[in-house]
Amino acid sequence: MPFISPRYRDRVDRDDRTVGPGIEVTSGPGRSEVDLVLEAMDPDGVRPAEAIAARNLSLCFADKHIVSEVSVGFPRGTITALIGPTGCGKSTFLRTLNRMNDRVPGFARQGDVVLDGESIWAPSQDLLNLRRRVGMVFQRPNPFPMSIRDNVVAGVRAHRIAKGKQLDVVAEERLRQVGLWDAVKDRLGDSPFRLSGGQQQLLCLARALAVGPEVLLLDEPTSSLDPISTELVEELLRSLTPALTLILVTHNLGQARRTSQHTMFLYQGRLVEHGPTQDLFERPKDPDTLHYVTGRIG
Amino acid sequence: MDLAGTAPTGVSPVGARPARRPHLRRIRSLARAHEHHLWVAGGRAAALVPLVALALTMVVLAWKAWPAARVNGLHFLVASTWKPGSTYGAVTRTDGVAHPVGASYGAWPVIAGTLESSLIAIVIAVPVSIGAAFALTERLGGWLAGVLRTAIEILAGVPSVIIGLWGALTLGPLLANDVYPVIARNMPDLPALRFFKGPVGHGEGLATSGIVLALMIIPIIASTTRTLFAQVPALPKEGGEALGMTDWEVSRRITMPWVRAGIVGAAVLGLARALGETIAVAMVSGSLLNTVAPNLYGTMGTIAATLVTQLDSAFVDGTGFEVRTLAELAVVLVVVLLLVNTAARLIVRRAGGIAAPVGTGA
Ligand SMILES: Nc1ncnc2c1ncn2[C@@H]1O[C@H](COP(=O)(O)OP(=O)(O)OP(=O)(O)O)[C@@H](O)[C@H]1O
Ligand SMILES: [Mg+2]
Repeated sequence: MPFISPRYRDRVDRDDRTVGPGIEVTSGPGRSEVDLVLEAMDPDGVRPAEAIAARNLSLCFADKHIVSEVSVGFPRGTITALIGPTGCGKSTFLRTLNRMNDRVPGFARQGDVVLDGESIWAPSQDLLNLRRRVGMVFQRPNPFPMSIRDNVVAGVRAHRIAKGKQLDVVAEERLRQVGLWDAVKDRLGDSPFRLSGGQQQLLCLARALAVGPEVLLLDEPTSSLDPISTELVEELLRSLTPALTLILVTHNLGQARRTSQHTMFLYQGRLVEHGPTQDLFERPKDPDTLHYVTGRIG
Repeated sequence: MDLAGTAPTGVSPVGARPARRPHLRRIRSLARAHEHHLWVAGGRAAALVPLVALALTMVVLAWKAWPAARVNGLHFLVASTWKPGSTYGAVTRTDGVAHPVGASYGAWPVIAGTLESSLIAIVIAVPVSIGAAFALTERLGGWLAGVLRTAIEILAGVPSVIIGLWGALTLGPLLANDVYPVIARNMPDLPALRFFKGPVGHGEGLATSGIVLALMIIPIIASTTRTLFAQVPALPKEGGEALGMTDWEVSRRITMPWVRAGIVGAAVLGLARALGETIAVAMVSGSLLNTVAPNLYGTMGTIAATLVTQLDSAFVDGTGFEVRTLAELAVVLVVVLLLVNTAARLIVRRAGGIAAPVGTGA
């Protein structure tokens, strides 16, 4: 009997009329834990159902339109897959969501991105805190030049979430969460560059999780990993919901189907189709989507 | 043309001109097959050239210096005397080595002066260079970066004799009038800080030498460091940014550690240059041979400056002993440089413990 927190189920039902495939929270934390997480995230139950949403968002690099008028919401506690052929603007879109593009020369935007109902460019938004709330994992692992333990707690330190001995606790907790603890517990002080690529990526995931984000942006996080590591990461991502809202860019359509509840298909900068993953893959409404998911474009 | 004679050699690729001279071809293909070995052998030979040159220099120096070393003994490294001895040609022999009566050499003041002035130079130059390199690659944009870069490049190209002259005529007096007195006056009166107090002199001395040396090595360290910073891949820096680190935290925790080993190397390059710098120091140090500077501002000398200022008078010594002593001094300098290099290598190895191995992590 799959367990879904009542409040969570309400929201999913209301938004989508269907509980998408892959919402198998049974493998996740137990009932009370989920409730704790959700309550901590939203004590009064007043937060918008969409953790983050793009409103009419258009993005340009030096007058070249990369993304045009995308409006899409990401329901809290779900995984949304972002698919589309190379160069269609997936990374550009994703990086805009935690303002990583703001300082890129030539970058311009129209429209808005709202996080919990508030524009991420609102003057009251603190950029550093925004990035704490909206974390990011990159295509290739990018450990910092410091020990494995310090990598995990780098963000925790920067945001002064914990200090001293607490850092060790945080490091262990997050390494356990990503399943890396047993592999590295005897060499926490070692260089992360001697870990395998997959282990490095897990380390980066642990690092991103350590600051307690609400939304996690993942840009092809498994593209440099072997199938077994990929499967581990996918399982881990599924276990992160419903505490977190995930947006997963992937070229691996199987991965999109296996992990996500919703899928959005971006093609030449336009949001061609967006809907429950199963529908999009099995009953695509748009001919371009059909072509892409059956492997004829991209 | 005798086409019948061009038997296929078996290696001619499709469409290639048929080989006319099988022998030449065979030699060519042999050369191609062994090209790699030729390159390796050539590379090894080329790599040996500096080693051989260094070894030859050392042998010649040591050969020259050995008799003086026997007479001067260990005393040479610790004593503070520089006496060429009898100027009337009275000669005596110690251990069979001829030298003027009363000649006595102890190079401790110039050894200390070399180390002290280079230390001052490196202490000033490393932070300034890192700051400049950092500003160039990470912070400043547009024309400001251009101005700073040009300034550094120009500084790198100024001949040391010009810097020395400027140091002696302008910078030294300026410092002695307006800067040193302020430091000496405001330094707390503690025994440990006595070195910073006392008479400030007229601008020739240890502090001025150190500052002039710093000016000369800043371009070296800054340009090397700038290259290092520019090579740090964007991905880890973006990772820090995406985690909510400030620019400063990204710099301090990611960019700097990434190139730490390289920065130590750049500093050593600068230090080696400072230890060996000659003419500018000769012009601003005061060229004192037999006294260690009593405080930060006192006149002093360095090994390299002594070599150039004493060579002329050394040739007056008919026994050649003073020239041999200068050769001994040169050996000391080379040994100091080698020690510094070795120490630096050890530091680099330790500093590189966690830093990204070169060429990875991008
Ligand atoms: N900094 C930039 N300046 C100018 N153009 C850029 C910049 N970054 C990306 N682009 C352009 O924007 C377009 C979309 O790039 P983006 O990286 O978002 O594609 P993508 O969908 O992530 O592709 P992939 O699947 O290959 O990662 C490309 O045409 C790219 O050339
Ligand atoms: Mg991309």
